[in-house]
Amino acid sequence: MATHTHCPYCALQCAMRLAPAGRMAVPAGTASAVAETGTTAAGPAPAGTVLEAAGRDFPTNRGGLCRKGWTSPTLLNSPERLTTPLLRGADGELHPVGWDAALDRAAGAVRAAWAAYGTDAVGVFGSGGLTNEKAYQLGKFARLALRTSRIDYNGRFCMSSAAAAGNRAFGLDRGLPFPLADLDNAHTVLLLGSNVADTMPPFVAHLQGTRDAGGLIVVDPRRSATAALTGGGTGLHLQPSPGTDLALLLGIAHVVVQEGLADKEFIQRRTAGYRSVARSLNAWWPERVQAVTGVPAELVRETARRLAEGARRARAGLTAGGSYILTGRGVEQHVDGTDTATAAINLSLLLGLPGTTHSGYGTLTGQGNGQGGREHGQKSDQLPGYRKITDPAAREHVAAVWGIAPDQLPGPGLPAVELLKSLGRPGGVRCLFVHGSNIAVSAPDAGRVLAGLRSLDFLMVADFVLSETAAEADLVLPVLQWAEEEGTMTNLEGRVLRRRRAVTPPEGARSELWIMQELAARLGAPSMFSDNPETIFEELRRASAGGPADYSGIDYGILDDDSVPAYWPFPAGSAGTPRLFLEAFAHADGRARFTAVSPGDTADALHRPGELTLVTGRLLEHYQSGAQTRRVAELSAAQPEPRLQLHPATALPLGIGNGDMAEISNHRGTVRARAELSTDIRPDTVFLPFHFAGEQSANLLTQAATDPVSGMPEFKTSAVQVRVLEKAGSR
Amino acid sequence: MNHQAPERIAVVGFGPVAARLVDELLPAVRAGRVLLTVIGSESAPAYNRVLVADLGVGRTTPEDIELADADELRAAGVNVRLGRTVRRIDRPRRRIELDDGSHDPYDRLVLATGAGAIVPTLTGLNPDPAAVHLLPPGVTALRDLADAARLRETVHRGGHVIVLGGGILGIEAALAAAEEGARVTVVHNGDRPLARNIDHGGGKTLARTLRAAGIDLVSGARSTGVRFLPQAGGRHRFEALELEDGRRIDGDLLLLSCGIRPRTGLAEGAGLPVAKGILVSHRLEADKEGTIFAIGDCAEVRCTDPACAGCSGPGGGPAGLIGPGWRQAEWLARRLVPQDPSAAGTGGADGAPAQLAAERPGVMLLKARNVDMASAGAVEAELWDDEVGSGGCGGTIPPRQVAQWADPEHGRYVKMVTRGGVLEGLVCVGMPRTAAELVLLYERGSELPADRTALFRLDAAEQLPDLSGPADPAASLCRCTGATHGQVQEAVAGGCHSPGAVGDATRAGTGCGGCRSRIVDMIEAHLQSAGAATGTS
Repeated sequence: MATHTHCPYCALQCAMRLAPAGRMAVPAGTASAVAETGTTAAGPAPAGTVLEAAGRDFPTNRGGLCRKGWTSPTLLNSPERLTTPLLRGADGELHPVGWDAALDRAAGAVRAAWAAYGTDAVGVFGSGGLTNEKAYQLGKFARLALRTSRIDYNGRFCMSSAAAAGNRAFGLDRGLPFPLADLDNAHTVLLLGSNVADTMPPFVAHLQGTRDAGGLIVVDPRRSATAALTGGGTGLHLQPSPGTDLALLLGIAHVVVQEGLADKEFIQRRTAGYRSVARSLNAWWPERVQAVTGVPAELVRETARRLAEGARRARAGLTAGGSYILTGRGVEQHVDGTDTATAAINLSLLLGLPGTTHSGYGTLTGQGNGQGGREHGQKSDQLPGYRKITDPAAREHVAAVWGIAPDQLPGPGLPAVELLKSLGRPGGVRCLFVHGSNIAVSAPDAGRVLAGLRSLDFLMVADFVLSETAAEADLVLPVLQWAEEEGTMTNLEGRVLRRRRAVTPPEGARSELWIMQELAARLGAPSMFSDNPETIFEELRRASAGGPADYSGIDYGILDDDSVPAYWPFPAGSAGTPRLFLEAFAHADGRARFTAVSPGDTADALHRPGELTLVTGRLLEHYQSGAQTRRVAELSAAQPEPRLQLHPATALPLGIGNGDMAEISNHRGTVRARAELSTDIRPDTVFLPFHFAGEQSANLLTQAATDPVSGMPEFKTSAVQVRVLEKAGSR
Repeated sequence: MNHQAPERIAVVGFGPVAARLVDELLPAVRAGRVLLTVIGSESAPAYNRVLVADLGVGRTTPEDIELADADELRAAGVNVRLGRTVRRIDRPRRRIELDDGSHDPYDRLVLATGAGAIVPTLTGLNPDPAAVHLLPPGVTALRDLADAARLRETVHRGGHVIVLGGGILGIEAALAAAEEGARVTVVHNGDRPLARNIDHGGGKTLARTLRAAGIDLVSGARSTGVRFLPQAGGRHRFEALELEDGRRIDGDLLLLSCGIRPRTGLAEGAGLPVAKGILVSHRLEADKEGTIFAIGDCAEVRCTDPACAGCSGPGGGPAGLIGPGWRQAEWLARRLVPQDPSAAGTGGADGAPAQLAAERPGVMLLKARNVDMASAGAVEAELWDDEVGSGGCGGTIPPRQVAQWADPEHGRYVKMVTRGGVLEGLVCVGMPRTAAELVLLYERGSELPADRTALFRLDAAEQLPDLSGPADPAASLCRCTGATHGQVQEAVAGGCHSPGAVGDATRAGTGCGGCRSRIVDMIEAHLQSAGAATGTS
């Protein structure tokens, strides 16, 4: 009997079945597979059982899995799996230690930091990979047990700009405010800065209808696997120079206004602020946009007309109608990321897309629980239910649920990049807990982060392998993997899903919930901490009740029956909200807000002689920092090392041939990677994947400059120099 | 911060450049640091002049080309005076006198009076620049909302528009009008349209393209006069344009597109130095005291250094382009009101640099649908030209090089003029992607790829899907799962005869599903060959 759960990796959270190897009873996709119940009658398989995965029919992945999902069980039995706490000894090496001693040591370090520097000297760095229960309890643990305001998470690196823009425009941020399957019949989809064909391949099936209609428009400086989906008459690929997405969006919106393509009725009835945005768009006629972005004026016009046509067809009631605008990290991870997402939203509002049943705007959340992870108090400025920590009513509500006085709650802390900059500094964090994140590889300007980690008095890392960050720790606590735990995840649609245990964890690994519970007790924390996910979820329901991300009507019973899709907000007594904003937007007056935005300067000065622009991104075979996927033999064999993608015309004068080792450097750091020549990239741009560590770590080159609104770092435009190190085959 | 009285800034003119300045000053106005007055001679606040031709052919509305909202500005505390002109500047008393007799004091004065259309010397037209508003019926320039309304009326009824002048604005208006259904004739005196911006080959290519777009092009024509049709009730109406060679071209509307002239009268009257435009330093100062500034189409940047690259080009005068004007407005705003350091963003520079950055010779992009033309910088250099003075001793300056591609039959032409691999000039007709890339490289001063054909190829027909022969068995067939051709072939041969069965055996087709059709093809091919082998098919 297979266990029904979801993939451990990205936000698509593909439905999968896990079963002991050779015991996958029913082939995927058959009727009997659908009829299988979620719970496993026989209980989890014994520790050490080798599992295999198969896709399971579900509206998002339709039975599909990518290579990462297929191979995900491999890691459960990896020889690199940690099964005992490790404490750094006087010899500077990590040594096994018992759980009691480990937890006592952690609690002692917290007390020492409190005594020497105050409670804000203790920090927590969380993750968009944690279950809702862990994210929720981690936020509570930071504020009540560690008594610190200094908590933030790696979602700040991915979702914060789109989230800020969504909140500003709609009054609410849910990545996709509509079910993914709504895309199936769309006439036009504008996909900006997202490479779904590599990052979440089963997503691509939802673009087929649009491709058949010739309406997939992909914006990417590279002809990525996703951009290549537009070939053969299925759509358009716009290839702007890195860092110019905002101008491109303004140009498309300009055409919408100037050619009378805007949905005036929608604008009048459902929005505010149109006039000032229309005036600001005036300055961005297509030829001017072309001169800034390198995208031909005619393609700017064509994109605008195509989007308007899709919206018009939907309003006319045609079945193949509707236009969607979707943004990804490529346009969001910039110092003007919030404004760029806002420009995409403005465009969608001009066309009358959001808050309808046929069209919309959305952002594609990346991490497995990147959505839930940003709702339950892991962010420096938030409390559970997507509440603001500065809002007195929100503090009162959450304090009441937690059984404390509101003034026992710390105020807002520091967003991730600021938090990491403060490590070991006067007034900064001296004792850091890291959960589910590999910041030594994934944070911008990673060299500086590593130096910060090394300057700490105490670093505790909870992980199931010895990641590059764990390798820096004073104390490493071995925790559970996805197939060993129960809980909930919220996918990119804002749909809450059940993660289920398929196998008993190895002896020695412990749940993070239990670790928090134990430490809270040692630190004399008030309120309740539990190691039982369902108990925590029950409290989460109450804490989120009445907040923007209201989960109060959801329980494990509902989630165990996948036929009731649990889209939040799901207040008690309701049936959830598959589509947001159909009646009204979430601002008090029910209207969406236009906000005029304009391009600023990039953080690095670009295009100086002898320099190229580095963009970073993902490979199909790897996930995030690669801490997990680099340890899966099949994936590692397919992509063992990063490859620097560059245009042959750029490589020629540099003396770089295909397969040569190249050095990529700037004042922040130096990276070595093998060159891969390709005409799929602009000649002024080079690409590195960020899944690799050490001297292969792309984030040694990225910068910690941040968006002023969201705190999102600039990952996508770094000025670099490239030179050849060693010709292929010269050794 | 000190608590001195707010500074009084007056802006004369309310066009796009003035609007940008006002926008940039608005935070200081809201903060009470600046008392701002802006005086516009039209009854409407600033609108985007670049889009006036679109307005003239009915593609957009006056509302949609607004750049400012007078009520909103007034609510923010700006003194907005519309439909008023400034009669004179009283420099000793630092005040301006308006046509209604009122006076406005200033601490700093910004002249953004723009430029007006040039009225050519033609029998029947009053060449006085001040008379441009008094053109007879059926004759119009294309600068303001009233001009646009006149053009619109003719285009709307499918009339015949004669555009006089082969400059960029004339060609843009001609193309727009033709596309919206008007009959259009362009009369100009060079051997090719856009003669000032484009080389011979590019101009010839463009001329063909324009004819193909339905425009009657009368090149090398000197026009001498305008004939009028007497009308009942007074003023005569335009009937025909007369050429020197005796031809006459009948039409419904004569659109004058013979260039623009900076409006300098007010500055001249105040004793400020004026050449083609109001002369300003690199700090945009029109007077020695740094009290009066000029920006936009009325300003001519010139310093005492004759070799200065940052001054308005040889032949002088303002560029007449909006981009430089906007950059001047942004720079001047930072100069007038140094930014609050706390408001500066991450890494942002506060305050204005010592002087305005030099402009590269402007990029010309023809604003038209379906006709693509870009030019910039030095375009006249030709293949095999020996550059005078280059290649001599010293040799530190690399010689100028020209690379060219011409395909007149298909309306394609590109020329790249480079020095040391960096563009000094470019012309590109009918190759939009190449043009977009070249302009980007020109603006940045980036080195071109040594393989110049990499740029030409941007407009090549898209590569066809690969029709290569039998696939390498080790090559992956399914990107998402990594399943190879060989694995799938083996599974099919082993009895998996549906995509689902192949997927169960190899995972192929279980990701995005994009390779399923190829799996089906392989199954069918296998069944056919198996059938053929056994003779059952």
